[in-house]
Amino acid sequence: MKELAPMKELMPFYQAVDNPAALGRSITHKKVIGTLCSYAPEELIYAAGFHPMRLFASKKEIHLAHNHLQTYCCSVVRGVLEDSLSGHLDFLHGAVFPHTCDSMQRLSDIWRLKGRYPFFADVILPAKMNTPSANAYMAAVLTRFKTDLEADAGITITQQALADAVHLYNRIRSTLSSIYAHKSKYPASLTNRDIHALVKGSMLMDRQQAADLLDKVVRRLASADPAADHARTWGTKRLILSGSVCDMPALYDLFQDTGAAVVGDDLCTGSRWFEGLTDEDDEPIAAITRRYARRMVCPAKHQGLHTRAAHLVEKAQSLKADGVVFVLLKFCDPHAFDYPYIKAFLDDAGIRSLVLELDDSQDSLGQLATRIETFIHMI
Amino acid sequence: MIYAGIDIGSITAKAALIEDNRLLATHTVFTGYNPAAAGRQVFDELLMQTGISAGAVKKVVATGYGRASVEFAHKTLTEIICHGAGAHFLNTGVRGVIDVGGQDSKAILLDAQGHVENFAMNDKCAAGTGRFLEVMAQALQIPLDQMGEISLGAENPVKISSICTVFAESEVISMIARQKDRRDIAAGIHRSAALRVASLAGKIHLAPPVVMTGGVAKNKGMLQALEDYLGYGIKVGAVPQENGAVGAAVLAAGT
Repeated sequence: MKELAPMKELMPFYQAVDNPAALGRSITHKKVIGTLCSYAPEELIYAAGFHPMRLFASKKEIHLAHNHLQTYCCSVVRGVLEDSLSGHLDFLHGAVFPHTCDSMQRLSDIWRLKGRYPFFADVILPAKMNTPSANAYMAAVLTRFKTDLEADAGITITQQALADAVHLYNRIRSTLSSIYAHKSKYPASLTNRDIHALVKGSMLMDRQQAADLLDKVVRRLASADPAADHARTWGTKRLILSGSVCDMPALYDLFQDTGAAVVGDDLCTGSRWFEGLTDEDDEPIAAITRRYARRMVCPAKHQGLHTRAAHLVEKAQSLKADGVVFVLLKFCDPHAFDYPYIKAFLDDAGIRSLVLELDDSQDSLGQLATRIETFIHMI
Repeated sequence: MIYAGIDIGSITAKAALIEDNRLLATHTVFTGYNPAAAGRQVFDELLMQTGISAGAVKKVVATGYGRASVEFAHKTLTEIICHGAGAHFLNTGVRGVIDVGGQDSKAILLDAQGHVENFAMNDKCAAGTGRFLEVMAQALQIPLDQMGEISLGAENPVKISSICTVFAESEVISMIARQKDRRDIAAGIHRSAALRVASLAGKIHLAPPVVMTGGVAKNKGMLQALEDYLGYGIKVGAVPQENGAVGAAVLAAGT
């Protein structure tokens, strides 16, 4: 089910995804702060007048980063460091590192010691996000981060600015959620690659622009004939992706080529970034803290012994998924550690799964295609 | 009705013809650098050998890593699906397949109808594949097709600790330098490769009856090492290397 060119409303997202560094350089009215994970409190960065931009590895050949990180660090961490050391990210004013996995912490250390950019911040998140003491601690961490941003920007972040940022992010989150829901209902209405471009593009481009463009996509989808979309869904297998960073558009194409639609995910570069809204009626810092407490954790955090597995099973069942594909970055310990028990939960629920261990710069897709085709055939 | 299966592997290209649920013939050539040409060649030569005209073949299914290059195929399916179908067709009641080819090794769990229920495949690494054995045979200076037989005479198989083919080769070379018995080294090599494959089988809980397919199934040393690790007997059919092509032909007939 290869599709023709993407609808015109999606083109700005494709352009953003195509060359994030060019996009970063083109943003001249604001200083750009890089983020590396969906735990980065972007509303604060935005409210301080900066442009938050998610950093992905540009997938250039890695050689400078080898002097600092072992090859068993994941390709995202090594790739982003390479981009920094090679000057590819010189448009950045700084970066923020939420406390998550060990590799990310080491990247943060090297980044700080290299001192290439004026602004640097670690956001030391609690390991548990949902206890009363963790909430109090988290609110203090966010307040401190706010102070750091204010000092660098030479401004005071007003409650109004923060409330506006929360509102804008809620708009982005709810439109992305509704677009994904539309894709789940009418799998042929958007290609798998479209979803990747929409989510990644929204993490890169000006947030006000992203929110406006996402609205246009929603309107366009609403105006399409659902019956025609529905007719084209025949025979499609429904997949959910689970993992951390999934930045391989070619992988989304492989699913598409075998007739499988990605109808949902549990990815850091997917649903974990946009699921769940921040209460707009409450004090913003408290509300942001509460969203993180409610949001599904990544394996570097703790919520309950079986929370992640129960969440994935529930998601697969509610989206009527035919299978779950774990897209794990090679050498990613936290995800590899969680995988066996989550797989066992899926097995018990009768949900088929496939695990792919990937280097996100990998371009030999033959073996992957064999696995994916067989899995789709199997389910 | 005659149906054909073409399996373009990394080292060899195989073709099989079936008629009325009966295997007619198989043929194998080297793939070389042009998988499309190898597919054409192996099919044409098989037709010539059997005296069957291309027009008499109702459908062709292509499989293997070069499956997309077979332009005359009506359909492509992965080698995992085809090896499952071939093993089921040639060995009634089989529930597991271990396929070790030139660059891939796979364990495949089948249901009672020969459909793939689960599978595990080696990562992009030559350990536990035909390529690994080829490199080691070269280091030992023995013909690949004799390495299995030679290893059966081992008394104290050596232990190869490196998983990586390149490191394992230098380990083997240092053993040669220390004048270790060639039979013991060959047996150690098979045990090392078999261990990788056995772990794939363990991942998906493969249980007998199991058949081994792929070119490496012709290596008796590898077969014995695998049986040792798995703790049960493994069957090898008459055409293990062409099993994937046979499965492709079976699936061509079924579509």
